[in-house]
This record gives sequence, C-alpha cells and structure tokens, in this order.
Amino acid sequence: MHKQNKFTVSHAPFWHDGDSIGETNKNIMVAALPAIVFGVFQFGMAALGVICLAISSAMAWEALFQFISKRSIQIGDYNAAVIGMLTGMMLPATVPWWVVIVGTLVSVVLGQQVFGGIGANPFNPAVIGIAVLSVSWGTYFDFDAALLSYEFDFTALAPLGALDHQGVAATELFSTQSLLMGNQVGAIGSVFGLGLIIGGLYLILRGYIRWEISVAYIAGIIITAALFQMSNPEAYAGPMFHLFTGYTLLAVFFLAPESSSSPVNLIPMLIYGIMGGVMTILIRNIGAYADGTLYAILIINLINPVIDMIRPKALGKGVNNA
Amino acid sequence: MAQSMVKEFTKGLWAEIPPFRLVLGLCPVLAVTKSVENGIGMGIATTFVLVCSNFLVSLLRNIIPTKVRIACFIVIIATFVTVVELMMQAYTYPLFLKLGIFIPLIVVNCIVLGRAEAFAFKNAPHLAIADGLGMGIGFTLSLGALGAVRECLGSGTILGNAVFGPGFQPFTFMVEAPGAFVCLGLMLCLMNLIGKK
Amino acid sequence: MREMISMVVVLTVLSAFSGGMLAAVRTGTQDKIENQVLKFQKAPAIKKILSNVSNDPLQDRFKLTDNDQEITFFVGKVDNKPQAVVLEGKGKGYGGDVGLMVGIDIETDAVIGVWVTTHSETPGLGSRAKDNPDFVSQFSGLGLDKVFAVKNDGGEIDAMSGATITSKAVCMAAKQVQELYLRLKPEIQKQTQQMAN
Repeated sequence: MHKQNKFTVSHAPFWHDGDSIGETNKNIMVAALPAIVFGVFQFGMAALGVICLAISSAMAWEALFQFISKRSIQIGDYNAAVIGMLTGMMLPATVPWWVVIVGTLVSVVLGQQVFGGIGANPFNPAVIGIAVLSVSWGTYFDFDAALLSYEFDFTALAPLGALDHQGVAATELFSTQSLLMGNQVGAIGSVFGLGLIIGGLYLILRGYIRWEISVAYIAGIIITAALFQMSNPEAYAGPMFHLFTGYTLLAVFFLAPESSSSPVNLIPMLIYGIMGGVMTILIRNIGAYADGTLYAILIINLINPVIDMIRPKALGKGVNNA
Repeated sequence: MAQSMVKEFTKGLWAEIPPFRLVLGLCPVLAVTKSVENGIGMGIATTFVLVCSNFLVSLLRNIIPTKVRIACFIVIIATFVTVVELMMQAYTYPLFLKLGIFIPLIVVNCIVLGRAEAFAFKNAPHLAIADGLGMGIGFTLSLGALGAVRECLGSGTILGNAVFGPGFQPFTFMVEAPGAFVCLGLMLCLMNLIGKK
Repeated sequence: MREMISMVVVLTVLSAFSGGMLAAVRTGTQDKIENQVLKFQKAPAIKKILSNVSNDPLQDRFKLTDNDQEITFFVGKVDNKPQAVVLEGKGKGYGGDVGLMVGIDIETDAVIGVWVTTHSETPGLGSRAKDNPDFVSQFSGLGLDKVFAVKNDGGEIDAMSGATITSKAVCMAAKQVQELYLRLKPEIQKQTQQMAN
C-alpha cells in the first residue's frame, strides 16, 4: 500500500493559527472566565478556593512528574493550568480540599503525562479526573446534598437529579431562561449557560476550537432529545432542558473540542460531535447516571482514532490501492 | 542438580515473575485482587495446580505424542483445577464464595498452560517442580501485592484490619475494574524503574 | 498408524485416570461440602427462624424422599422435645430459583417464620425479599390451611411493589413447602418422635 515512502506526508493537524500552545491555553482560560466568575459570585469564596487549588495543584503535579521522569519542565505553557481549571469547574464548591488534589493528580498524571504529555493523551484529562472522582466519592457529586447549606432565590435542586428522581414534571420548575442565566444548582463552572456560550463563541471566532465539533454536539443533543420527547412526552424532557443543564455546555465548548483527543477532518469532526450529543442523551434518558456527559466524552474520545481514519485521499494514489 | 533447581525456582520470583515480567495470566490478576485475602487464596490455588500439572506433564513428556500434547495438558490441568475447586468448597467455603467463577478459569490461565508447554514438556520432573513452585509463589506474591495496594487504597484495610484513621474515605476507584488496570500499570512501571538500575 | 494408536491410547488412559481421580476426590469431599453449604448458606436462615430452640438444628436433621427428591428437615427442640421443623422450598423468580427456608410448628401446624436463602434477583428490587424482613414476616403465624399466594391471586400476602415476580416466587416456594409438609406429615411425625426418645 505504501510503496512510495519517500515523500510521506503526515495527516497531522494542519489547522494552525500561528499561536503558541501557551497563547492558546491563555485564551481558553480567558474564555472560561465568565462562567468561573459567575460561579464564584453564586457559590462564594469556597468556589474561588476550589478553582485556585485545582489550578495550582495541577501545575505542581505536572512539574513534579516531569521532574521525576526527567522530562523538560513545561509549566510555562499553561497546559496543566487549563486541565486543573477544567477539573475545578466540574466540581461542586463544597468539595473537600483533598478531593481536588487527588482529582488533579489523576487528571494530569494518569490523564495526560503517562501517555507522553501534551498532545499524546487519548482522553480529555480533566474528564478522566472527574470520572475517577465521581466513581470514588460519589456523595460529593450529589449537587443537592453538597450545596444544602446554601440559600438560593431559585429552585435549589440540581435539574438533572430532579429529572432522574421526580420525572419529567420537574422540568417545569426550571425555565430555559433561568437555566441560561445560571439560576440552577450544579458544579462551579457549569451553571452559567450564557457565560459558557460567550466563552465558546470567543474561542470559535478566534479559531482556538473548531465550530464543527461544537455545532455537531449541540445538534446531536437537540435531535436525540427531541426524538425521545416526541416518542413519549411524559417520560422524557425536552432538548432545551438537556442543553442547558449538567455539564452539557461545558462539554460542547471546552471538553469535546480538546485538541489532542478530537478529530481533525470535517466528516470525522461532525460524527464525533453528533455521537457525543447522542450518547449524552442516551445515558441520561436510558442509563443509570443522571448526567451522562462525562462518559459520553470518554466514549467519543475512544472512537476518535477510528473515525479519524476517514480522511481525504492522498494525492497520487490510485483507486485500486486506496 | 541442586544448583539448577534453585535457578529454576528463583527465576519465577523476580526475573520472570509472571504478571509483572511475563504479563501472563492477567484475568485473575485483574479480577480477584480486590483484597489481599482473595489474591493470596487465588495464588495458592494456582500454585497447587501449577506444581501438580508441571510434575505430571514432565513425567509423561516422553509418552505424550506431540500432536495431542495440548489436549493432554488441558486434561491434566482441568483435573487438578477441579480437585482444587472441590477442596476449596470442602475446607474454605467463604473464600470459594468470593472467588467463585475464577477458580474453574484457572484451566485457561496462560501461566499454567504456558509453563507446561514451554518448560515442563522439555525438562526433567525435579526441574519442572522447582519451576512450577517458583512461578506459583511469584504469582501469589504479585497477586498479594496488587491486592494489598488495591485493598489499602480502595477500602482502607489490609486483611480486613483498618490501616487509616476513621476520617479516611476510601478511594473506591481502586477496587473497581478500571482501578485494577491502572494499578497494574503503575506496578509494572515501578518494576521497570527498579529493574533499570 | 503407530502414532495414531499411541495418540488414542495416551489420551484415553489420561482421561480415564483423571476421571477416576475426580470421582475419588468428589466422593471424599461430598459430605464436607454439604456441611459447608449448610453452615454458610442455610444455617443463618435456620438460626433466624428457630431463634429460641435449645438444640443445634443443623445436627438434628433427617431426610425423607418424596417423588424421588430428597428433602432435608431440620428439627428444632425445646426442652429436648421436637417443637418445629424447617425445610427448604424453591420458587421460580425473576433471575432464577429463589430458595426459601420455612419453619413449621409441628403441633399447631402454623408457620413460625420464613427466610430467603439463595436467590439471584435484581439488587434493590427483588433482593429486598432477603434484605428487608418486612415482606417475609407476613408469613409468620399463618396456619397451613391458609392460601400462600399474593393478594391478587386470592392469597394472604401483600406483594412487594416493583417486585411482583419475586413475591410470587416466594409464595410459590412457601406453597411447595406447605404441600410437601401436609403430604409427608405422618412420616415427619414418626421421625420426630424417634428423636424425642
């Protein structure tokens, strides 16, 4: 098949905007700011503490691991900081300090460094960390219980938890508008839908993430949720409810388009995004978990290498040996 | 003669320690190491099967026709595994309840068949016993070590005794199936680090 | 041809040897295994049912045959006088057979208590029959002339919500025991009188 290996051209990402890794990561952090600031505003100083601890411990773990494994220390490219920040954004504000530290250890070391560091991770590192944490200490991820001591001037129920326990009638407690404005109980960085959308649009317009993945993800969610709702409106919630609750928007703009675990060509990107949306809704509606986003992301990360093989035919290759 | 027996025995303890160096027999390694007790129980059962089958295969190595050797090995191994299963039911029933389906699965454990094919079929009985015993003890120790790490982190106990204070909240991930893979990977990494020096 | 014959002979002899060995081990351990199963699976249930007897019901047991089936009866004595018998019935549940220990007072012919032993029902739904005593305690004190069935089927028992099939399985097991007991009553009395002496 590969008879001419003199002029091998790799299919590595050609999408390059001229920025450095550090610049990209800084912009991702800027894009996440609205959601984080709102989270701190809503959940108080504890939320700020969780985010700061997550970022700093992630950077420390990365530096420590690179020192032990005798790699060059790349703390200056903000890569660990972004992983730590995303990990922190998916945690509730009341989580104990040691859960944050274990989470960033798993995210940075098991999620990324053991695979060879930046660009070599098959999964989104932050999602690995949160998945391991939620398997181990699920009680801290029960947002209703975790945020019991707070007093809100809106329905103090985690929307997806309410959907799981009380059925579809619970969705009437949450109007789309209030969900969008962050009037819901949840993780620090995932409650403020509008902020996440603004951040995501910023990243798309600046070219740091590919719009195809985000749009396909949203399309996957809307189509699947609408189909479910059409089949039985009394058992399944509508698309808008799913879109603005849980980790969905965080996944759409920050987790799914992570550069090394997502595809690079048009058709694979569309498949990748739609699969993510479909899996999210399937796990929420049929599976045992209230919020399937984490596992949906891990599953699409898994199929990424396979669908990424759908790529334009190389120049000079005949049909026979394609 | 004694020297070569010692050599065959010790290689299974470190240089060719089955799950970490040969990376064989991973099904029980991953599945039953939720606790030290389970790991060591499984290891001892495997050791017994390994020694007996190695000895018998080595005794019969000139009689067994090459063409049907695998069938013969499986008959021998399956016999001893069933003996172990019945013995466990009769004497250590609680352990049998915990290990459950994994005892019959020793039949298809790569180490047992692998040692019969690669070693016992070509060597004298006394060497085969030494090899089986070494491999078995190495396997038991690995399972025990892996079980200790997983039990310690995942349930906060060693052999059922609490090792941390009451404030410790178990890292449940370690006793789940994915935790087994991660833990095995980290142990392999550690073994390679030590071996390098 | 020679090779063919040797292959056949070796495999046959080996299989025969292994079969013989397994048969020997099985016969040797059979009683022990039965005791272990009694001790770890049935004993807790029997102890719960016969909580105030003065003897060890596991020791005082006898067997009767009914339709080629061997049934074990455990006898509970108060002041050295047989007071109750416990026997196991099976009903078809959602995930397989549900085993139910039923204790019957031999003087009043009423149920003392029942307890689920082995089952493979859905955790959290059908498994409540074993984990939550509220359901099975409905049987306590019912006379054997009553109908052991859920209320929908014209019986006395409230089914567990969400676990109708398991509820029916438990009732079926109880009914099986009821029929068995009434059919074998003369023989049971003969046996218990022997024990009293």
